[in-house]
Amino acid sequence: MKMKRRDLFPIAGAAALAGYAAWETRRTASLRPKLPGTSAVTVVKAASYTVDLAGRMTAGIRACGLEVRGQRVLLKPNLVEFDPNTCINTNVAVIAAAYEAFSKLGAAEVLIGEGPGHRRDTYALAEMAQYRGELDKFDSLFVDLNRDDVSPVMNFADRNRIYLPNTALRADLVVSLAKMKTHHWAGATLSMKNFFGLVPGAVYGWPKNELHHVGIPESIVELNRIFHRSFAIVDGIVGMEGNGPIQGTPKPVGVLVMGRDLPAVDATCCRIMGIDPAKVEYLQMASENLGITEESRIEQRGEKIAAVRSDFQLIKQFQDLRLA
Amino acid sequence: MGSPIYLRRLRPARIVPYVLKKSRPKQVKAEIETADYPGVADSYLGTRVNALRKAQNADGGWPYFPGKQSWLEPTLYAALALHGQPEADRAWELVSTWQQKDGGWRPSAEVGFPHATTALAVTVAAARGEFGGPFQNGVKWLLAAAGDESEMYKRIIIRVGSLMGKVEDQRDFSLKGWPWKLETSSWVEPTSMALVALKKAAPKIPTAELRERVRMGEEMLLDVRCTDGGWNYGNRTARGDELRSYPETTGIALVGLQGRAEVGRSIDLAGKMLRETASPMARAWLTIAMRVNGIFPGPHNVNASSVDARNVDAHDSKVSPDVLITALEALGDPDGNHSLLKVAA
Repeated sequence: MKMKRRDLFPIAGAAALAGYAAWETRRTASLRPKLPGTSAVTVVKAASYTVDLAGRMTAGIRACGLEVRGQRVLLKPNLVEFDPNTCINTNVAVIAAAYEAFSKLGAAEVLIGEGPGHRRDTYALAEMAQYRGELDKFDSLFVDLNRDDVSPVMNFADRNRIYLPNTALRADLVVSLAKMKTHHWAGATLSMKNFFGLVPGAVYGWPKNELHHVGIPESIVELNRIFHRSFAIVDGIVGMEGNGPIQGTPKPVGVLVMGRDLPAVDATCCRIMGIDPAKVEYLQMASENLGITEESRIEQRGEKIAAVRSDFQLIKQFQDLRLA
Repeated sequence: MGSPIYLRRLRPARIVPYVLKKSRPKQVKAEIETADYPGVADSYLGTRVNALRKAQNADGGWPYFPGKQSWLEPTLYAALALHGQPEADRAWELVSTWQQKDGGWRPSAEVGFPHATTALAVTVAAARGEFGGPFQNGVKWLLAAAGDESEMYKRIIIRVGSLMGKVEDQRDFSLKGWPWKLETSSWVEPTSMALVALKKAAPKIPTAELRERVRMGEEMLLDVRCTDGGWNYGNRTARGDELRSYPETTGIALVGLQGRAEVGRSIDLAGKMLRETASPMARAWLTIAMRVNGIFPGPHNVNASSVDARNVDAHDSKVSPDVLITALEALGDPDGNHSLLKVAA
């Protein structure tokens, strides 16, 4: 199709507007005070899914000073698609262990919820990923967040409101049971990006394209701002490298990474993966007022990063993310 | 408006409870009025129809899962499954209040913007033979709605973004499909549902604009078909690697493309998926797709000669707690209302 000169006006206008918006966002962000203090992140070794994961998690949760007695806890695994040849989803053993750990720590209620971004039949997907077969009373504990009842939450990036599932909004604590993976658009998908699954498909569709239009980094940060009562447990026992989050290859690392400050957990995961968190856009944004990402301000508990670091393969577009 | 076949089959059995209720005490009456229909209650279709009746909310709508809020999508699929019944009329009364001034339907009472499910509302209006204002406005909304990637400035931004490695430029963005939500991109399921609605509307609104949107929508679906012949949500590749198709979206796309000559190999794949998938939702969609495309698998959703019987017993005999799946399974039954999703060639 031949383009006329007048077609360029809206493009030029949009470009100028986008440029100003980006400048304004960065300018105002830089004026915000950085969070004070330090954050604790626990790294524990777990060579396989058959070791005592619940015991390791309980120790890690205590080491991070989290109190869950009497609270309603929602476990949010990363259930995306199923491919028997790779490891897309949070392993079922990690979910079972988290359920046991939070129950034993005195949580009043522990539910499991997820809203996959591509697949409509969540329960069938849960069955393929062995969640239904391996987790006791799965059907009574699980909520399909894509099709849960919803309520509006005001102000979401440049949108007036976002509709979110009541099960997640009611929870006293949302536990991001993420998978340690590379991501072909975001660089890495860890505990913060995992919150995309809290957005209901029944409102925003499959995929949840609204989040892409808002901006992937912006949406990640906004969801984490809304669900700030959270805790992260990242399944890095076997992660995924290369063209993640779906088409990558398994990457055994043998760790669980835990903490209350999700940006700090994700920054630590990035360092373990050989990715510079300062170059991951959503972590850059999150470091401005959501959490701590500088290594010097993260209290590393358990294993040292150097002892478990295992560089993940990165697609060519993300080679510049490599940690020196 | 003709009664669907299964209702004709049910009607004689209904006489018995009506006669009985006259002589029964009041407390028993309610029980009889909602009693299962003898003889068909335990059939594949009967169990699903009865489950849908039990799951209907007091407001006339259906939730995705029993006891939850009513949503437009399960309400309309359940209304199609129970087409011609009082439950479907109550549902239509409710969803009529969800249509907005712009002609689009909101996805539930709680959500304040119009949604892709507007297409299904137009299809249901056509099935009911109601071609007045709500139908006309719904069609107008569909004709005005398009994935925003088809706008000229967005196509340039996508092209530039693609050169910078920020986005994937993998399809013909001049082909207008439909988004889930306005001001986002077009995807397979909303496009397929809009195609059914507009093809249903075509005899009443025979405009060039409508025909052109149908042509572009069909081309868009064919353009995003995966190499294996099926469809996923709407992307063929990610970062250069080919993506696999999914059974449920393959079924949905084939409903939108029914009658197109180019779908032969996709139909073959759908048959294979139908035998292999573990997803009841996918089986229901694939079955509906096979039926509206003139292919008739045997009872209980699968071709009896080639199916693993264990698979049928394990999955298809049980009614799902998922209302949407139950409605789709009822539609896909040989005696179900799948013909309401069939469009003229």
